[in-house]
Amino acid sequence: MQMEPASFPFLSAILLSCVVGMLTIMLIPEEKHRLIKQVSVVFSGICLLLTLYVFFAFNRKLGGLQFVEHVSWIPSLGISYFNAVDGFSLPNILLTGIVFFTGVLTMWELNTRVKEYFALYFLMVAGVFGLFMSMDLFFIFVWYDVSLFPMYLLIAVWGTTRKEYGAMKLTLYLLAGSALILPAIILLWAKSGLDTFSFVSLMHPGLFTPEVQKFAFLLLFLGFGILAAVWPLHTWSPDGHVAAPHGVSMVHAGVLMKIGAFGILRVAIMLCPLGWIYWAKFMAVLAVIGIVYGAFVGLMQTDLKYVIGYSSVSHMGVVCLGLSTVTVAGLNGAVFQMFAHGIMTALFFSSVGYIYDRTHTKMIPELGGLSRIMPVASGFFIMAALAGMGLPGLANFWGELVVFLAALKVYPLFGVIAVLGLVVTALFMLRVVQKAFYGPANPRFAGLQDVSLWLGTPRIILAAVLLIVGLCPSLLFNVIRTASVPFMNGLLR
Amino acid sequence: MNWTIAGPEIFYFAASLWFLLLSFAPPRKPAADRAHRREYLTAIFLASVGILVCLASIHAQGWLFIRAYSVDVFSQVFKTLLSLGLFLIVSICGHMTDIDDRRHNEFYFLLFVCTLALMLLVSADSLLSIYLSLELSSYSLYILVALRKKQSLGLEAGIKYFLIGSFASAVMLFGMALLYSSSGAAYLPAMAKVLPAMIAHPAVIIGLLFTLSGFFFKLAVFPFHFWAPDTYQGASNQVAAYIATASKVAAIAVIMRVLAFAGHGSAYLVHVLVFLSVVSMTLGNLAAIVQKDIKRLLAFSTIAHSGYVLIGILVLDPAGYSAAIFYALALLAMKFTAFMVVVELAPDGRNLQIEELAGLHKRSPIMALALLVALFSLAGIPPTIGFTGKFLIFTAAIQKGYVWLVIIAMINVVISLYYYLLVIKAAYLLEPAEALPPLVVSFPKKLLAGLSIAAIVVVGFCPYWLIQVAQAAAQPLSLWR
Repeated sequence: MQMEPASFPFLSAILLSCVVGMLTIMLIPEEKHRLIKQVSVVFSGICLLLTLYVFFAFNRKLGGLQFVEHVSWIPSLGISYFNAVDGFSLPNILLTGIVFFTGVLTMWELNTRVKEYFALYFLMVAGVFGLFMSMDLFFIFVWYDVSLFPMYLLIAVWGTTRKEYGAMKLTLYLLAGSALILPAIILLWAKSGLDTFSFVSLMHPGLFTPEVQKFAFLLLFLGFGILAAVWPLHTWSPDGHVAAPHGVSMVHAGVLMKIGAFGILRVAIMLCPLGWIYWAKFMAVLAVIGIVYGAFVGLMQTDLKYVIGYSSVSHMGVVCLGLSTVTVAGLNGAVFQMFAHGIMTALFFSSVGYIYDRTHTKMIPELGGLSRIMPVASGFFIMAALAGMGLPGLANFWGELVVFLAALKVYPLFGVIAVLGLVVTALFMLRVVQKAFYGPANPRFAGLQDVSLWLGTPRIILAAVLLIVGLCPSLLFNVIRTASVPFMNGLLR
Repeated sequence: MNWTIAGPEIFYFAASLWFLLLSFAPPRKPAADRAHRREYLTAIFLASVGILVCLASIHAQGWLFIRAYSVDVFSQVFKTLLSLGLFLIVSICGHMTDIDDRRHNEFYFLLFVCTLALMLLVSADSLLSIYLSLELSSYSLYILVALRKKQSLGLEAGIKYFLIGSFASAVMLFGMALLYSSSGAAYLPAMAKVLPAMIAHPAVIIGLLFTLSGFFFKLAVFPFHFWAPDTYQGASNQVAAYIATASKVAAIAVIMRVLAFAGHGSAYLVHVLVFLSVVSMTLGNLAAIVQKDIKRLLAFSTIAHSGYVLIGILVLDPAGYSAAIFYALALLAMKFTAFMVVVELAPDGRNLQIEELAGLHKRSPIMALALLVALFSLAGIPPTIGFTGKFLIFTAAIQKGYVWLVIIAMINVVISLYYYLLVIKAAYLLEPAEALPPLVVSFPKKLLAGLSIAAIVVVGFCPYWLIQVAQAAAQPLSLWR
């Protein structure tokens, strides 16, 4: 694999700006809410700029691993601090940067325990960044847990509906996932005989026997699959989404679930390709069930956040279906869909956040006709819903299109069922939009203000990204292809 | 004989003599507070000098008493850990309202004697010296437990501890007799030469298991764990903290030494250890879920942790030993931090209930953070020392093919997370029924809490240096093979 060392440690700088941001916040006195928020905006803004730089400076012709940083960490076990980006991780890093920044802005109106909230939020995002850029299995696991455990407090303290239940369920489910991942990672380390956790050294076809690959792949797929909300391991996700505060829901649905899918791709698929081929059909079955199940359950929900929660299960099924096709197109579509879905759900939760803070309800029947009162705030939600339906011109369209074309070729039957599931998704999105935003206005909310420009900024950014990527999908596809094509070529040889 | 290599032992012997002499002095009624302060500062001073003495003699090597007592890197590293443990425990003894006013000197005397005994234990190289030092440490602990002011609680705990302890030591003595009669040797190195050839013999297996049961009692491994919750609950907070930290560290050391010398070559023995480890961690974690008293909860979590440590030991190779040594250090750091918060929150020495933690994040943010970090570390969440310790143990185990054992242990980690989260929830989420005043935490205590947090996180993130120390310490264990 081609490796391009970094001229300046941009990736570590991204991590550092999260950690330094967290420490700075912890040093500010509790009462100075405004200062804490300003500092958060500054540090998350630095992160966003750095990720944007890395995204555009990535050499699309060269591909391979770029911005490589390598420091030996625990030599006796072959652990190293090894960061790099490739075509698979780059879109996810950009996604994290965008959602991180907009998530800070979305919580601008937070008033309770502001300091602790932003400190934990920064810690969580540091874990997410670390996971996407790490090329060492040990650190991948460490970052995985770092991104998860602040979640418990973030949901349980600042959440809403059944928050303690949702927080506990989410934490235990996700750490049960790590209970499967850790043995698998150590197993790969032990079986390789190379005494290294470095991803690059372990990624040699034929390093592991097929039996080891099958076993490890299953553990890793189930472990990361919990986080990716693969059916039937998804039940934590709607509960968690609903309970979490809006900014956390954004990171959680927008980015954390991508960690699961990314973990399946990076660790399970790339290290155990034979296991991947062996279990591909199994993955496809679970993915299709997820797509259809999520759509139908979503149809029945009356809580706005549950609707989005179940649509996430359905959309993550699309990612999983793409991964299960064992084709270049499937991988391209899956990674593209990860990005698109991340931005879309972030926009969903961000706009629901604004509406909930004003109306104090997320129940669809109560909201009725909100677009007459808050046309702009409703507009953001409707735009996210249109993206969720796969409307051409918005990002999700391309991800779903590419995945379904790949799936129809490999699994014609599953592909057809999944497309039908998507029709149901469109139906329930329309139903929500119609019931919550059109129709007669609820007089209770008549006096509410529409979103101001400053509070609208995060939603504008997210909507703009959906539109830009939707109109110019090659922006991402060109990047993803630099990783997927060499990987599949290496596999077929 | 070269007595200089026994520097730490001589120092702790002298220190305990000092406290013994002080305890003979007639009690002065007025100004008891000042007397306590003086005794406390003396103890702190002696304990910190003890750490320096241990560090100075860390490279010492040799034998005493006709090879019944061996001084090597392994024993010296553990002695340093023990001296550190003693120092930490003494540092939270500033306000011992729970111990009779006139008994503070005796308290320190027993604490130092017990530490001395544990130091002897980690160096003991023959069955006789192991037995003697184990009993010495146990007896001082029995009295320490019973010293608590609330007579009934402390006495009941002391008697329970004593009964189960003497039962375990009787079993151990029987096992040692079996080992001696079948091998004809009482020195571990001599046994290491004879035993591998006859390890399949039932008398040897039973002898070994019975011998180990004395140490399992110390470590609170199933089926010798019954005393732990009651004793923790009945003992004063500081004594419970000592039992949970220093005493466990020494138990880990002696189990490793005996198994490394005598335990090789028997698949049967390993199966028993696997079984004990699985039962200990599962039982400990499941029982901890329903606890209301923090000390009881920590007691059950200790039982679970001895299960994890056993995984590292039963691997029976240098990687496993060094992992277990690292884990002993981790246990010391995280258990101490948890107990420090308990002591700080219960200045009158009462047993703290979980619901009393309500509102802690407002009353004392630093103590709440220390508790959070300690509990996440106990649960094995990175980047903490507890995670690194578990990671080392699991790598050693999987390399030897114990994949399923590790998966079971990981499932246990998830179970344990549930009750740790319940405690964290109480500290960070619940609000007390009536508003409580902010907790007054003195500056040294804040510093101690900050250092504990930093130690747990920094060592968890950059463990390389300590891993090297653990590897060096594990070296003598494999020399005899």
